Amino acid sequence: MTIPVGPRIGALVLATTAFYGYVGQMVPQNEVQPPAPILIRADLTTDEMVGIGRDITTGKGLCRTCHTIGQTGALRFPDFEGLDVRAMTRVPGLTDIEYFAQSMYEPDRFVVPGFNPGMPTINRPPIGLTDQEILCVIAYLQSLGGTPTVTLQTAHAYYKPPAAAPGAPGAPGAPGGAPAGAPPDQNAAPGQQLPLSAPPAEKVAPPGTPVAPAAGPAPAAPATGGVAR
Amino acid sequence: MNGLMNRKLLFVLGPVTGVAMFVAVVMIAMFLTNREYRDPYRAPAATVDATPRVSGLADERADAEAKAKATIYQEAEYRTFPVVGSRVAIWSIAQLHLLFAAFVLAVPLFAFIIEVIGYKTGDLRYDRLAHEFTRLLSVSFSLTATFGAFLTFMLIALYPKFTNYLMSVFSPTFLPYVLLFFAEAFFLYTYYYGWGKFHPVVHLVLGFMLNLVGTAIMFIANAWLTFMMSPNGVSDTGAVISVWDAVYNYTWMPINVHRVIANVAFGGSVAAAYAAFKFLNATSDEERAHYDWMGYIGNFVAISAFLPLPFAGYWLASEIYAFSQTLGLTMMGGAFSWLFIIQAVLIGNLFLAANYYLWLGMGRVEGVQPLQKFIKYLLIGIALCFMVWATPRSIIATVSEVRAMGGSAHPVLGFLGVMSAKNTAVNILILTTFMSFLLYRRTGKIAAVAWAKAGHAAQLAIFASVAVFVISLGIYGYFVEASVRIGLSVPQVSSVLFAMVAITAIDVFLFRGAKRTGEVQWGRIPAISQYVLIFIAVTFTWLMGLMGYVRSGLRQHWHVYGVIRDNSADAFTPTLGFATQVVSVTVLLFFVLIGVVFWITSLHERAEYPAVVPAPERVPHSGGHIVLGGAVREGHTNRLS
Repeated sequence: MTIPVGPRIGALVLATTAFYGYVGQMVPQNEVQPPAPILIRADLTTDEMVGIGRDITTGKGLCRTCHTIGQTGALRFPDFEGLDVRAMTRVPGLTDIEYFAQSMYEPDRFVVPGFNPGMPTINRPPIGLTDQEILCVIAYLQSLGGTPTVTLQTAHAYYKPPAAAPGAPGAPGAPGGAPAGAPPDQNAAPGQQLPLSAPPAEKVAPPGTPVAPAAGPAPAAPATGGVAR
Repeated sequence: MNGLMNRKLLFVLGPVTGVAMFVAVVMIAMFLTNREYRDPYRAPAATVDATPRVSGLADERADAEAKAKATIYQEAEYRTFPVVGSRVAIWSIAQLHLLFAAFVLAVPLFAFIIEVIGYKTGDLRYDRLAHEFTRLLSVSFSLTATFGAFLTFMLIALYPKFTNYLMSVFSPTFLPYVLLFFAEAFFLYTYYYGWGKFHPVVHLVLGFMLNLVGTAIMFIANAWLTFMMSPNGVSDTGAVISVWDAVYNYTWMPINVHRVIANVAFGGSVAAAYAAFKFLNATSDEERAHYDWMGYIGNFVAISAFLPLPFAGYWLASEIYAFSQTLGLTMMGGAFSWLFIIQAVLIGNLFLAANYYLWLGMGRVEGVQPLQKFIKYLLIGIALCFMVWATPRSIIATVSEVRAMGGSAHPVLGFLGVMSAKNTAVNILILTTFMSFLLYRRTGKIAAVAWAKAGHAAQLAIFASVAVFVISLGIYGYFVEASVRIGLSVPQVSSVLFAMVAITAIDVFLFRGAKRTGEVQWGRIPAISQYVLIFIAVTFTWLMGLMGYVRSGLRQHWHVYGVIRDNSADAFTPTLGFATQVVSVTVLLFFVLIGVVFWITSLHERAEYPAVVPAPERVPHSGGHIVLGGAVREGHTNRLS
């Protein structure tokens, strides 16, 4: 019995599309959800910030899409292994915190030799991390080869936190806190969620602007300004 | 024996009787319960409404009316499409619209070129072929417009807020778009219906204008979709700063170029599939010869456009990276990285099928073909390149396997999963397919020029040196920094392009006045070759569907990347398995519809239906005969025109 041409062509079209559909089932199946909102309490400890920062680097921050940990060879972007050790001396005049902050707020100001510019500005869409989320990421990056020192009250060249509540860690007069007399109306009590981002006027200091000393236990920014090299 | 049967029967009957008795008891209990007397329900005295029923109903109506009138207008952000959801509905309709639009834009392009060849050479076969290609347009144009309108209404209905935003940005482009659409309809129908009715030059001008207008329409529509991927000319919150900048965004021109080339490849393959369909249904050798030739030309167009397509793809990808590294890395290294393995399978199949068709085509030429012995080497080259291209960087493996390998990348095969290897493989693949074309072109000919030997040697030297150069750069890429490695793709691509141009140029002069060893017998090709053409068309269509998905899906949870966020229930990126299912269903729908287009187009060739004279006359006359139902069929045409 000869099968007519029409059904043969139909079978071929069906089989071809079915085959490609089957190939599609053979590759890893990942459903990517939009990033969930991240709750950052005002009283987070540095250790807690490290954990949140780690989650951000694999999730909302998309860092691990490009950056590896513990890989060598022909890499397209710098590896994270032992990062904090290199960050302390990578750019003369920048502490590790300032270096990490610059890498995220102004990624093209310094590009690691041997790599092309490619890092997006992290505090703007589409990634759009908040200042507090970036502090958490810095805490995590410090933990890679160093000891995390950053807190939510840490200031750097691109962010100046609102003054903390009286008596809270980093509060005016408290150890490591901002100078006493800071305006109390922006204080965040322990357990209270911080605003998603600081007011724009406080967010980014223009390059070259003198930066106030860090309010937390982090080392102070260079006197010449956080972004100078 | 009987006793045994009775025991078996008892075993079966026992439980059956038990179940039946249980059901009977339940039914009797229900019957009795339903018949039991119950007091009718009365509301407690305190809640009894003394209002008469009619006035109560009127009050309720008045209340409902007042509430309805007091409702405040709220703009819906999203609406839901039943069963499949809004995203899949929009996705399928947009894909069908784009497939038909690609076809409608591509066919006039190569029909025009074929018509020009016919005009310049005076060979009427080309004119007939161009006309036959154009026949497919009229129904496809209607379907394109129908799906376009369908897509617009679906966008307005399902994504009203986002559609409103796009309209606010691009409203200045709408009027030119509509006017161009009118112009396209005018040129298309005058080009088609005016075939042979105008002076050839006038007709060619109509064809040229049709292509110009069609391309302009596509450029405008491309501005809308590329803006969604790489927005420009708007503030951080989406306010329009410059409409021109919004149009001329990072990916606009690369998409324009990529789409023109891809449309030609796709259109050529679908036209070749039409020829294959006609070839397989042909009843005479003459018909078979014609459709074999038509299929060859369609496939030639498709593969010629397909060869430079990866280069246009490189440009598009580099512009995506230039706009946003995050977007580029999501594409190549993030959620969509495995999609490119599927793409490799598709493109590998396309190359294999295209080469196979060419090799089968060598049998059209009479006599033994000495060049056929090279086919096995080409096949080995293509298969190797295909395998390298389809090798993933990370292997799907169990935890113990990953431990044994020392990571997710295989210790040996992992080296083939990086861009250095893949760029090299695709360039060699293109070069090999080009050589297949060259072998086919030479079939049945022997170069007769005095410098033939030197010419062949020069061609071989160019081919070999470029292949060695491309492979060397690929290996070199493993030993240099990323900033250097990325730039190596440019000399790889340039050298392959150089080889194609240089070898073709030599070939043209080499085979001038060539000695013929056998004539081409069109139609003398195995039927399987025609199924190969249909396979190529389906694969091209599927590939377009897949790449359309990655272009659109790259934005992930953004309607306009980084500007307008997708807050709908479909904001997530589905699995590749799901995406390929949607693509498969859409491709099947397209082929059902294109089958209808082929069928309607083939009505041209049907014998005209004889006119029917009403029964009462019953007057048979010259050339007529009485048929069932008492009607008389006349021998003359019933056509009005």
